[in-house]
Amino acid sequence: MSHEVTNPPPPRPLIGRERLAGLCLVVFGLFALYASADLPFFTEGGVGSGLLPRALSVLIILLGIVQLAICWREPPESTGNWPIRDMVPVLVGIFLFALTIRGFDFGSFKIPVLGMAVATPLAIFCSGMAAKDARLVELLIFTVVLSALCIALFRFALGLSLPVAPWLIGY
Amino acid sequence: MMDMLYNLGLGFAVALTLKNVFFCFVGCLIGTLVGVLPGVGPVATISILLPVTLALDPTGALIMLAGIYYGAQYGGSTTAILVNIPGEATAVVTAIDGHEMAKRGQAGLALGLAAIGSFIAGTFATIVIAALGVPMTKLGLLFGPAEYFSLMVMGLVFAVVLAHGSLTKAVAMILAGVLLSCVGADMETGRERMTFGLHMLTDGIEFVVLAMGVFGFGEIFKNLADPEKRDLVKGSIGRLWPSLRDLRENMGAILRGTGIGAVLGVLPGNGAILGPFASYAMEKRLSKRPQDFGTGVSQAVAGPESANNAGAQTSFIPLMTLGLPPNAVMALMVGAMMIQGIVPGPQVIERNPELFWGLIASMWIGNLMLVIINLPLIGLWVKLLQVPYRLLFPAIVAFCCIGLFSISNEPTQVMMAGAMGLVGFALWKLQFEAAPLALGFVLGRLLEEKLRQALIISDGSMTTFITSPLSAFLLAIGAFALLVAVLPSIRKSRDEVFKDA
Repeated sequence: MSHEVTNPPPPRPLIGRERLAGLCLVVFGLFALYASADLPFFTEGGVGSGLLPRALSVLIILLGIVQLAICWREPPESTGNWPIRDMVPVLVGIFLFALTIRGFDFGSFKIPVLGMAVATPLAIFCSGMAAKDARLVELLIFTVVLSALCIALFRFALGLSLPVAPWLIGY
Repeated sequence: MMDMLYNLGLGFAVALTLKNVFFCFVGCLIGTLVGVLPGVGPVATISILLPVTLALDPTGALIMLAGIYYGAQYGGSTTAILVNIPGEATAVVTAIDGHEMAKRGQAGLALGLAAIGSFIAGTFATIVIAALGVPMTKLGLLFGPAEYFSLMVMGLVFAVVLAHGSLTKAVAMILAGVLLSCVGADMETGRERMTFGLHMLTDGIEFVVLAMGVFGFGEIFKNLADPEKRDLVKGSIGRLWPSLRDLRENMGAILRGTGIGAVLGVLPGNGAILGPFASYAMEKRLSKRPQDFGTGVSQAVAGPESANNAGAQTSFIPLMTLGLPPNAVMALMVGAMMIQGIVPGPQVIERNPELFWGLIASMWIGNLMLVIINLPLIGLWVKLLQVPYRLLFPAIVAFCCIGLFSISNEPTQVMMAGAMGLVGFALWKLQFEAAPLALGFVLGRLLEEKLRQALIISDGSMTTFITSPLSAFLLAIGAFALLVAVLPSIRKSRDEVFKDA
């Protein structure tokens, strides 16, 4: 796992961008077809709830095949690097925000309502760690200041009814 | 004519109340602020601020949102000129010559011309909206479900034709958008469709979730993968106000850009996006020295910027008169109107004349404000541009999360937007355009509703779309546009328009 080398050469593409795009369309269409399989095509009153979704799925599959046919002979082009590792901290930040802002019930254990006072700094700090040039102290200070600003702006200045810190101040 | 003046008078009476001037000002300021920041487009901004408008009255809310919209358009061009980062598709063209001018110490002139061009375009577009408002509304009243359906199909075809890149992919994106809009309870039977029993999908996918995911989070992932090069102009910005000679040299470009932009903006299917490209191509063709384009020609900034602004405003016409949002921003406007209990469509002008005309009048006031706030504040915007991205994107994440949560008080919506961000990133990697997806999604529900209504009226006969002359006419235009777009020779020139820029 090399960390930020001077642009590692993209791996030789197996499928190539355009073919992958076509393939994705086919898979997406098939999935939608499966998802809408139980819906009626026509009902007595006219069009059933399944007509449009299924017609669209079939069209998307066809377009995927067209796309595959168009680019079949062309040399595959790489999609470039997929920096999944850089994206994970951002996603973690978003999910932590969602889990803590109003609490979450997993059945076996519960996350209490922690409110903006916890959720916002978590989101800012976690996602901030995604930057390659992140500086810890700077990010910490920024997190505290921006969280306070967010609470002041959204809760107090704009009056949205967001939980701030029920465990501490009761709302 | 007298009617129009009377109506505009009513509009100004509404828009010039202290409260509404204040909302307009706040909207323009926030819009410019956010537009200047690279990586936050108008779609993300309006989605974040949508819940805020709940507390306002409908007119004030829409005036503020409209202010945010053209403020963001305007701010985007500032960033394009000073940093060479187009904040959104429409500023791509401005960045080419605008940034070259800035490098030569003419940043001020570029900014000033952009401001004046935008103001002239805004004034003209306001008049166009006022003039077209009433007739278009009357036309809208003639529309039954079949005609609406055909009009939407035509709009979607235009969106395909106007999108750049592969036609196949653009069509697929539109269809995928419509398909996604089908998720959730069936509007007639209430039966759940494609929800897999997931509670969070019962009401369907919120447009804001899709927009913030794909355009907000997706953009962040994109920038992390491919760090932008910030090429902030150092040194002096130069004189802001153009001289009389500069004005004379650029007035033609401004007026032509305004015309092109205003016409394209009215098209359903996001015609506004094409305005700057078309204006650039036209100026290059008319210029005596086309080879200079790309090295900092002032007409290449003034024309596209005017086209951009004119199109941004006239794209309100399909929304306000027919109830059809032509692009993602207008779709958010629909959301804002619905929250306030106003259903967009031809009836708005009659039932809420003060809202309709107030909004139009506020556009002109907003444009005036943009010139007044932007030119003196340029130093502040430059400062703002120095905020490093490593601090900017966590802030965007936080704003998006708070905005998403406050719309529905549902944490699952925040997670869904995060997942949509991944989808947006994958789309970018595979070179699918997200704008047609958003448009398909926006029109999807309305499209299905009108399709079903039309078929119920016609007793299930599909011929209803062809037997109604208006509907047949609209479908024919759509078919013609699609045919033209597929023709190889036209395709080539279409690619050239985009390549030029």
